[in-house]
Amino acid sequence: MAELDDIIHQPLRLKIMAALNALPAATGLEFARLKKLTGATDGNLGAHIETLAKAGYVAVDKAFVGKKPQTTVTATATGRGAFARHVATLQEIIAGKQG
Amino acid sequence: MIDSKEASAALADIDDIVQRVRQSRIYDLASQMMIMWGVLVFVANIATWLWPKGAYTYWLAVYVLGIAGSFAISAANQAATGVRSFDMRVLLAFLMFVAFGFLCAHVLGHFTPRQQGTFWTIYFMLFYALAGLWFGHAFVVIALGITALTLIGYFFVTGDAFLPWMAVVNGGGLIVGGLWMRRS
Repeated sequence: MAELDDIIHQPLRLKIMAALNALPAATGLEFARLKKLTGATDGNLGAHIETLAKAGYVAVDKAFVGKKPQTTVTATATGRGAFARHVATLQEIIAGKQG
Repeated sequence: MIDSKEASAALADIDDIVQRVRQSRIYDLASQMMIMWGVLVFVANIATWLWPKGAYTYWLAVYVLGIAGSFAISAANQAATGVRSFDMRVLLAFLMFVAFGFLCAHVLGHFTPRQQGTFWTIYFMLFYALAGLWFGHAFVVIALGITALTLIGYFFVTGDAFLPWMAVVNGGGLIVGGLWMRRS
């Protein structure tokens, strides 16, 4: 029986992973765009991205574009796999196989 | 473990964010194209106003540069995302759209330069408005705004002032619309 992924299940982290997973592999989202998409605050978003990065689910790339710092977040292969399993588990729960 | 109601809510959240990402990527790409076409249209209107004899050359150049630019933006976007947006099928659709407009403006009707400036603008804005039904309300807002300002110009802006008006309304409108779409 599959288990829900505790790291992904938190609502904001679920949104972050869903947003990154909707992109082609190796394509990331800028922090500002991710903030707008998820409706999170800077601090909250940063903390949850750090949790996902520690689990190896996202890669964080910090660079300067001109004089402005730009942070890009990308889902890793591990993260995509974990997200797919999490979604499959949610679908199993709805189908009545779990819960 | 959660129940099926909570699982459904989580999946609905995922669907919602996927839709937002999809729309955000469409707006991002469309804004680049809109700004490019806006600059071309602005320059062509001003050039037509200053040196009217070369009007056909300017507008032909707008189409050639616009199509080439669209391919270039699409190729750059493809390199970054792996998705090609402006391909041969889109080019053919665009050419059919232009051919039908040409048929209306030059064969079935014989529009004056002022009528042509108005027709081509609102004709392209119709395309934007239709695209907006599938790809997001920003297209519809931009199309309606430019169409309304174009018609105001057609009916109320007299003489030579019409072309600079169209440069600002059509070219400028696309540039401002593209910038707004990028932030949406």
